[in-house]
Order: sequence, then structure tokens, then C-alpha cells
Amino acid sequence: MSAGRCRRSVCTLWLALAAAMAAATAAAQDVNAQHGVINFLEPVLADPILQHSKEIYVLYGCAYCHGVDLRVRNGEATDLLHSPLVGLDRNGNLIAPLLRAGIPQTPKLSPMPQFSDLSNGEIVAIVRWIHYARQQGRYRELARAELTHGGDVVAGRRYFARECAACHALGTDMAKIGSRYSRRQLAERILRPAFLDAKRSAPEGSAAAMSDDAARTRHLALLENYTAEDLNDLVAFLQTMR
Amino acid sequence: MFLTRRDFTALSLGAASCASGAPLAALTSRERLPPGVSSIRGVRFGLQPFCYHDLPMNPGNRSILIQRMIQNRLGIVELHASWCEPNLSGPGVSPEEQRRKLRDWRLHPPAGHFEQVRREFDDAGIQIFTYWVNFSDVTDEEIDASYRAAKLLGCQGVVGSYGLAVAQRLIPYPRKYGLFAGLHNHDNLSDPDAFSTEASFIKGLAISPQFMATLDVRHFTAGNGDCLGFLQRHHARTSSIHLGDRRRNNGRSTPFGQGDAPIIEILEMIRDQQWPIVVLLEFEHGTLRSGVEEVQIAYDYCKRALS
Repeated sequence: MSAGRCRRSVCTLWLALAAAMAAATAAAQDVNAQHGVINFLEPVLADPILQHSKEIYVLYGCAYCHGVDLRVRNGEATDLLHSPLVGLDRNGNLIAPLLRAGIPQTPKLSPMPQFSDLSNGEIVAIVRWIHYARQQGRYRELARAELTHGGDVVAGRRYFARECAACHALGTDMAKIGSRYSRRQLAERILRPAFLDAKRSAPEGSAAAMSDDAARTRHLALLENYTAEDLNDLVAFLQTMR
Repeated sequence: MFLTRRDFTALSLGAASCASGAPLAALTSRERLPPGVSSIRGVRFGLQPFCYHDLPMNPGNRSILIQRMIQNRLGIVELHASWCEPNLSGPGVSPEEQRRKLRDWRLHPPAGHFEQVRREFDDAGIQIFTYWVNFSDVTDEEIDASYRAAKLLGCQGVVGSYGLAVAQRLIPYPRKYGLFAGLHNHDNLSDPDAFSTEASFIKGLAISPQFMATLDVRHFTAGNGDCLGFLQRHHARTSSIHLGDRRRNNGRSTPFGQGDAPIIEILEMIRDQQWPIVVLLEFEHGTLRSGVEEVQIAYDYCKRALS
């Protein structure tokens, strides 16, 4: 994939994520209790690459067990919204081999089939959809999570040092952030940093654009892996930055 | 042939009429299917409505299920318990609490509940052939209650996904209610308790004369089993088959005719031998079409095989 296409894809991924958030919050508790017919393809997404990815995910039957929005439909299926393997996957490095081989050895009634005959493009599409749907789902969960006042500042500092400090400095962009935003606003900015919605100005292929792409990719990967506890601790820590 | 996305889009506009040569029946709520409507050259077809993947299996959707089966002109159904039992999930309800409530409901269903469900299908001309209950984590009282429910529904048997250990617990109930217990396979070859191979079926069928095979053709094929050989040897102990397509070696599900299951040969065998084995359409391949359209395409494939 070219740098430009990759950048567009990351951008549209985030915009689609933002657009889907309102609808996602209204999602039903249990998809199997839903009354009426499910249209797996709707809403049709503005980004044709994402829409195609969803269609491939549906076409190979993934949605019937794992759910099109990763809400499990078949109780035996792995919960991809919370699977550590999906959270660790980068561009299909873990998911693709698993798809190709299936899981023949299992204590479950029905082993996951192998999809060894799919093209690389189809595998990439399935992986893309899983990550997109996971980002939506995790945002939905975390945005609704109750922010308690008992976040662990020390744990939040550790998390910041481990996951954030490579790009963010406490003395510069994070300075006094705790006095600028409320707890809820901080949480929202952690989950959905404002720069992701800003219009880009750097030319494609430039160092600035590549840096921007890297930041977007990084934040989306974090979104797939935050726990409510992580978020709470991080907010507690950033509140001390006054 | 493997269809591209563009093919699917084009097909989705008129899949049913393209596939069957005629438009799907218009939806009329009062229509009643005539007896034998889905008997094709002596082979009785029905549906495991799990394959309406776009229709969640719950009581609220039961009327849509019936309407869809009328559209597809299928007069026999294997009814999953979740079409009859209430969904007890909800905010703040733990899985344990949900399970406890379901157990209570099974033991004390509302008076006349299953008779009413049976009437709904009877009125549409649809026979409830079997009742599907998985019997995972169940008490003996629940098993008994499920067989009682099946009897009230007018079923001939109770089927589910379970292994040899659970099958042993079922021994008294089919005899008590005059039903058969259906043993259904997956392709789990690593679990010695699972029904998956011919040998595992032989063990299960030996447990009780009231036990019958519900041979899942897709999974048996994926487990590298010989469906035709199985039917040749065990047709007298096979009540029904779940008919769909998959690839061998734990391969994926495919549309009918694109996998390794010998669908045409199975249908010809049942037709030619006049075995009273009910053919329940069931598939798990994905589709961009509606469930009704996809079922019709599978059903039409079978009709052509028997023409």
C-alpha cells in the first residue's frame, strides 16, 4: 500500500469511526434478542474500502458467529472485541495466519474452519474490518464507562511512561493539561484526540504527513487496547498535571 | 464458479427470480402451505432456520420465520428452543442469573405455551419435525421438560449438539415421550466425546434404539467423512440430514455446489432408495443476499438435483 493510500485509509477509518459513534451507543444489549431482520451491510459506509471490507467479512460468514459489529452471535465464538490476540495484531500479522489455518484442535463443539483458499486481499479486508469494528466497539464501551474518582495516579504515570511518553512530553504538550480539562473531557481526548478530526494540511508523502499517519495509527491501536481501568488511571494522572 | 462482489450485487437485485425461474411467493400472512409442499420426488425437505442468519432466533421473530418459510415453500422445520423460550438477558442480568431464570421457565412454562406455538405452525401448514435443544449445563428435570415441550409441539424427536456423555443421560426420555433423540455431529476430531466420525456415531447409536443420527453433511465433509458410505450403512438409523456444503480438512462453508459435500449424490440416493430421511437445509456460508433469497437458491439447487 502506498503512503498516500495508507494515509487516506487511516483518515477515513477515523472519520468513519467518529460518524458511527452516535449510532453505536444505541446498540442493543443482546443481538440475539433483536426483533426483526438484520441487514448486515447497513449502514453503507462512505469509505468504499471499509464497506468492501465489511462485505468480505460478511461474505465469508465471519459475521454469523462473531457478529458484524463484533457482538458475538454464537456463544461459542471468540469475542473479537476483547480478544488479546486481536489487540496485539498489527496489519494481520497474528490474525491472518490464524484465519488461514483455522483452529482444528479445540474443546469447543465446533472448530473454527480454515480459510486457506482466500486471497491475500480478502484476508487483508477481513483484518481491516475486525480492527475497524473493534475500534468502534471499544470506543462505545469506554465512552459509556463510569469514570470513578479513584483512579490510580501511580498506575496512570506508569501507563503514560510506557505507552505515551515516546511522543508526548509532560513539560510541553501535557503541561497543565489537568487544569484545562475536566475528567470527562480528558477521557474524551484520550479516546479521541482532537487532532484526528483536524483537516490535514501537510502534503502527502511529506515527513509531517507521515508523522501524522503514525500518530493516528498509534492512537487507534491504543483505542483497541485501553481498559476502563487504564483510562481511569490515565485521567487521574493527567489531572495532576496542573 | 466463484462469484465476485459485483456478481453478488447484481444478483441481489433479483436473486430469487434468477435462481428459481419464478419470483418468490408474495408474502401473505394468512397463507397456508398445502400438505407435502416441500416433498420433491419423494424426498421431504425442511429447514433448520438457523440459516436465516439475518433473523435472530427468538420468540419475537417467530411470526417472521413462519412468513419466510411460506415464502420459501418449505413445510417442515427443525425448531430451535430459542424460538420458543424467552430471551432473559438484559442490563444487569448476569449469565448465571439468566441461566437460572431459563431453568425456572423451562420447568414452569406458561400454560398452553407450546400448544400455541404448535398452532402457529399448524395454521401455516408447517410441521415441526424436531425440537433443537443443546443440553449444555442442564439438569435432568430440564431434559425431561424439553422432551415434554417437544411432544406438545408435535415433534418426532429432540436434536441437539452434545457428545457421548450427555447422550448417556438422555436414555430414559425418548422412550418416555415416544420420541427419538437426534445425535448431531460437528467436525471436532480432537474431542473423544464429540460426535464427528462414523465411529463416534456408531458408539452413540448403540446407546439406545431410540437414538437416531442427524447427519450434518457439511461438518461430516469438513471432518473428511464419507457421507454416502455413512448413509448406505446407517440409513435405517438416520432420521434427517442437515444439508449444506463445506470443504474438507476443516474447510470453510460454501454455497451449495462449491464445496466438497456430495449434495447431488446424497439427494439422488435418498430419492432412489426411498429412504424416509428428512432433508433439512442448513448452511453457514456468508451471503450479501437476504436469508429468504439464499435459502431459495439452495433449495432450487436441490430441486434441480432431483429433476
